[in-house]
Parts: sequence; structure tokens; C-alpha cells
Amino acid sequence: MEAAAGQAEEAAAPFLDKFQSQRYTGGFNPKSWEQEFDKIPMFMKKSPAEIDPEQNPDLACLQSIIFDEDRSPEEQANTYKNEGNEYFKEKNYKKAVISYTEGLKKKCSDQDLNAVLYTNRAAAQFYLGNYRSALSDVIAARKLKPNHLKAIIRGALCHLELKNFPEAMAWCEEGLRIDSKEKKLVETRAKADRLKRAEQRDVRKAKLKEKKDQSQKEVLLTAIKERNIKLFLEASKEEDEISDGLGEMSLNGLSSDSVTGTKIYLDDNGNLNWPVLFLYPEYGQTDFISAFHEDSRFIDHILVMFAELPPWDLERKYHSSNLELYFEDEAREEMYQLNTENTLLQVLQHQRYFVKAGTPTFLVLVKQSPFSKNYFFGKKVHRLK
Amino acid sequence: MDEEQARELLGFLRLDTRPDLKGQATGYILGLTGSVEGRTLLAGRPDFLEALLLLTGDRSLAVVKDSYHSLINLSVAAATHGALAKELPVLLHRLLDPGYAFADQVCTLLSNLSREEGTCRQVFQAMQEEGLGLARAVEAFCTEGYNQKAALHYLGPLLSNLTQLPETREFLLDRSRCVVQRLLPYTQYEASAIRRGGVIGTLRNCCFEYKYHEWLLGAEVDLLPFLLLPLAGPEEFPEEEMERLPVDLQYLPQDKQREKDPDIRKMLLEAVMLLTATKAGRQRVKEKGTYLVVRELHQQETEPDVLAACEKLIQVLIGDEPEAGMENLLEVEIPEDVEERLQRLDREEERQQETQSEGPGAQTGSQGPSR
Repeated sequence: MEAAAGQAEEAAAPFLDKFQSQRYTGGFNPKSWEQEFDKIPMFMKKSPAEIDPEQNPDLACLQSIIFDEDRSPEEQANTYKNEGNEYFKEKNYKKAVISYTEGLKKKCSDQDLNAVLYTNRAAAQFYLGNYRSALSDVIAARKLKPNHLKAIIRGALCHLELKNFPEAMAWCEEGLRIDSKEKKLVETRAKADRLKRAEQRDVRKAKLKEKKDQSQKEVLLTAIKERNIKLFLEASKEEDEISDGLGEMSLNGLSSDSVTGTKIYLDDNGNLNWPVLFLYPEYGQTDFISAFHEDSRFIDHILVMFAELPPWDLERKYHSSNLELYFEDEAREEMYQLNTENTLLQVLQHQRYFVKAGTPTFLVLVKQSPFSKNYFFGKKVHRLK
Repeated sequence: MDEEQARELLGFLRLDTRPDLKGQATGYILGLTGSVEGRTLLAGRPDFLEALLLLTGDRSLAVVKDSYHSLINLSVAAATHGALAKELPVLLHRLLDPGYAFADQVCTLLSNLSREEGTCRQVFQAMQEEGLGLARAVEAFCTEGYNQKAALHYLGPLLSNLTQLPETREFLLDRSRCVVQRLLPYTQYEASAIRRGGVIGTLRNCCFEYKYHEWLLGAEVDLLPFLLLPLAGPEEFPEEEMERLPVDLQYLPQDKQREKDPDIRKMLLEAVMLLTATKAGRQRVKEKGTYLVVRELHQQETEPDVLAACEKLIQVLIGDEPEAGMENLLEVEIPEDVEERLQRLDREEERQQETQSEGPGAQTGSQGPSR
């Protein structure tokens, strides 16, 4: 005994002497010891996203051991499953999907394992919002293991997110046949049922609204037709052909919202109120009256509108007494002057007046102004006598 | 028929009898069951009943059919139940066999048998013993095309009769499962009044369990809309009233029709009435706009006893809250003199109308086909 100890001591001595003279070089750098610490696999708090063999040879080494191609497909697939599960726990769903996919690529013969890989991948896809991919994964899982409860639950949840409520309920019921007390399935079925019934209500509500809107439109059209007011039809039609029958007077010529978003409406007294646009081509300005009662006269509106001269009237000439109103017969490119003492209804009933886009539009010009002379150049103008 | 004729007839009712004689005999028996005397006679003869039961296993379809029809007609009488109950295990297995061609006949027979509380208990027990619990029955009921050859509508009244027993109600109302919820859509099942009535009878019986009312009225089951929907018509309510109603009753299309069968309408109203027994339940039922639906129904209703049920319910919905201590109307202790008075009034009422069931009762009016 003593001899052996003595020998060891002897061998140790020169080794130990080295420490006295030489500095230890393999130690941590006092400034960067934390980073170096993190690089040692055993002390890593979390694994790096990518393993670069040059930066981290130890880790790359370990990795190649566990992912060794020489191991059986089942073992490899299992390792990928575990890796995927780790990523999943960290909420790194993209990476989880990749791991599970690698596991499935091994095509190992353990169908239970494959079913789990599909189901877990489905879960990861679910949290990524890829509900259809998740669904196809659970379907694949169930092909291998039809009664895999986790796959059924996931499938029901996918259908729920995809708003396939009847399918969601059907999947829940299938699962409940296997485990009639499965909490998540009972809950999900109830939720899907609620949402389905709410959706059915929404459909009914929309249908009813559509019906109401439709009948309101028809009432309007009847009122317009009764007054012999013509609507401008987009489709090319003979200008003298006045459409007969409500069906032909297309509702499209009477768009529910005019250019500025207001509708024609029939008031409680059975009178039409129109959105009306006044154009001032001289200065490129407009005025909009949202509800021009059909029995009100133009002159009354003009007096109010031009009680004060508008700011854009640079020459201060747009006094109500100076103004002339016209409408344009676009088909024939002719202008007709309005008698401002007339009501809107009277004007709309003019033989050559066609309402375009549900908004009667009128042009306002100043009497005898140079601009108006120019404006009328080349056009046929029907003036008031 | 004297004893000798009876014995002769019985002799033809055997599996090994010549087919043409057998067919004639069963046809004759079926004819007998068409009359009160015939039924009384046969009801008292367990030997005939057993013979008929055996003949349901015959090779000839006509013999099987006639035997089942005879049994169905006879099973209305409680006196036959003793003999018939012996075959319960066989009958139950046939009922739930997806391939059995006569499952409908078995179903109707069982539905008749289960009307009597005593036999009902036996049916339930046999179900447990044969491992064919209620879960299987509900599954068969709720699966479209469970049996390609049998519609199994009579599972409705069968379930309803079974809910006479508190054990079955408890199973249906199991909070950790999804059983009663699966029955709810059938309150609107247009294709069969039998199925529909059976479900509604079942639900009404379950409503006697007031401890479950909060759960039943809550989001997990949401029973109320399913009871009100058959009673609702295509009414258009103003928007704010409409939005108060349960989702299923909002914006009903113009072709919505009310439940046509007055007995079913009455059961629905009774079920809702039961849900108003507790204060909390009353609150929920009121706040879901039940009054609106029942009011409209009342205006259209022509059947006297349904009208009466409407009025009773409306009283609860618009009446004041009862005094302290009376919050659960099902548990109230009635003082003796009041009790006596009420009983007298009840007897008066009975004399005027059909009897209304006081407790969870068996399905009336579903006797199955007679000849």
C-alpha cells in the first residue's frame, strides 16, 4: 500500500509543480465568463435556436448522437416527438410543426406514435391559426387510430374555429360515445350549439331586413312611376321607350344610396323627398340638399341658399334674382331652363327629365354672364319664354 | 270461446305448425284483439301471450307482424304485463339491434308496457341487467338512420314513460354528460308527432326536478327556447322586444307554424310552468320574454284546456312575487283547510275536463296501432 501511494505521489509531484509555474489557460475569461458559461451544454438555460457546429461543437455533437441515423425509425420518430413537445411547451409552434413533420417522415411502424405525431402537429397548427391544416392532421391521426380522443377533441375545436358548427357538434358526439363524460367535449358541443343557433338567427334577421328593404324599394318605385318620373337607365335603351312595369324599371337605376349617401324616401304624408345636387360649374362648386320635398319650390330653396353670397362667389354676382337654373338632357345634349317658381315634382315630370343615380341634379348659372355664354356654346338651350 | 276451442287454437300457435294454419291462427287472434271482449279474453291467458311472444321469432313475416300487432293491442291492459315482462331481455336486445326489421313493433310494445309504473321499473331494471342502459336508448333515438328498417319514433314515448322513475330522470339530467341536450332539437321534429310528443313528455317530467332548474335554464342546456319555439308563431315584435327573446325565437319567418297537437301544446306549457316553481327560475323565465310568446299564443288558442294552461302561466309571469317562505311552489306546505278546499276544486275541475297529471306521469294517448 505504501509503495503504491508513494508512486502516485511521485508522479503527482511534477504535475503539481506545473501549477506553480504555469498559468492555467483553460479557465473562464473574467470579463466574458457568463457568455462562455452559457455555451457549455450542461449549463445552458435554453438551447440555441440554431446549432452551429463551429460555434458550439459540444452541442452539435450531442445532437448528432440523439439524431443518429443508425437508430431505429421508431426511436428517431420518438425523439422528434419529444423535441416537438419541448418546442410546444415553449410556445414555439412553428418549430414544433417541423419536429413533428420530421418524425412523421421516418414513417415508422408504430401507428400509435404516428397518430400522436399527427395529433400533436394538429395542436401546434391550431395555435398557429392554421385550422384547416390542423383538421387534416387529425383526420390522418384518426385514420390510424379512429378512437384517439385527443384527435377528436382537436378536430371539434378546429371545426368550431372554422365556424362549421354542425360538424363540430358531430365530432363532439362521436367523442362522447367513447368517453361520455369528457369535459372538453361536453363544453365544446354546448358552445357550438349556441353559436349555431345564433348564426341561424343572424341569417333570419338578414333575410327579414332584405325583404323589408325590397318592399320599401318597390313602394318607392311605385310612387315614382305614379308621378310619371323617369329614371335614367344605364343600359342602352331607345330614348323614347319609357319602361313599362315595375320589373323593367330597374331598381339599379334607383341606387339605394345616391352619390352622397342619402336616399329618396316617402314621408308619412305620402310625399317623396329627394336628395338634390346643385352644381355651380363656373366655380366647380356644389350644394347638396338631402331632403328636397317634392312640393317645395326651387325659388324658396334658392332664397335660403343665397341669402348670403357664398365665399367662392368672387365677383359677388350670385344673387338669387340673378340666377338661372338648368337641367341637362344628356341623351340629346340639350339644356332646359327651369322655372324656379315650379316645384321639384313639376320639374321631375318634365318630358325630357331623367333622374340619374337617384339624385336630381341641376346647374346654376348667372344670367347673361360671360361664363354662361361660353358654357352654352354649341349646345341647344331651351329657355323660358 | 270455450276451453276446448281455446286449447285447439293454442295448438296452432306454435312455431312448428303448418305455415298456412299458423298464418290463419295468428290472423284470427289479431282480429280478436280488435274487440273489447277479445282483448279481455286473451289478456287473462298467459299461455296465449307466451305463444304469441314465441311466434315473433317465426320465419313468416306475416306471422311475426300479426303476433306483434296482437301483443301491442293486448299490452295496453296491465293484466298482460306479468307474462310479457318475462321476455323483456329479448325484446330489449331486439329494440337496440340496428339490423332488426321489427324494431318499431318492439318499440311500440315496450312503450305500452312502460306506462304502468311497476312494469316500467321492470323495463328499466332489465335494461340495466342486459347492459343496455339509457345511454344506448338515447343514442338510438338521436341517430338518424340507426335502424334502416325502423324509424323508432316510439322510443319517444318509451323514454317519456321511463322518466316516471327518478333514476331515469337523474341519468338524463346528468350534468357531466350530454344527454338531455341531445333531445332538445326534437321538440321541433315535424315528421312524427309521436317522437315529438315523447320528447316533450320526457322534458316535462324532467322539469319536476327543481334542483336542476338553474342548470336547465342556463347556457349549458338552455331548455326554455326549445319549449317556447313550438308555441311561437310568425309574430313580428318591435325591435327591442325581439332582442329580449331567446335567440331561437328571434326573427321567425312568416311561415312559422305553431304546434298543431293540443295535447303537446299543453305539455309544453306545463313544462314551462314547472320551471317557474323556484324564484330564480321564475326570474329567468320572465326575463327571457316568455310572456310575449304566451300572450300571442293565448290570442290564437282555441282549445279550452290549453287556454287554461296559458292563463295559469300568464298569471305567474305577470303576477307579484309570492310572500316569503313560498318561494318554491313545489315545496310549499299547504295548511289543511286550504288543502281541502283545493282538493274540492280539483275534483270539480276533473269533472269538467280530462285529468291533468299531477306528478311525472306516463304518456297518455300513445297506445300504438290497433287493427
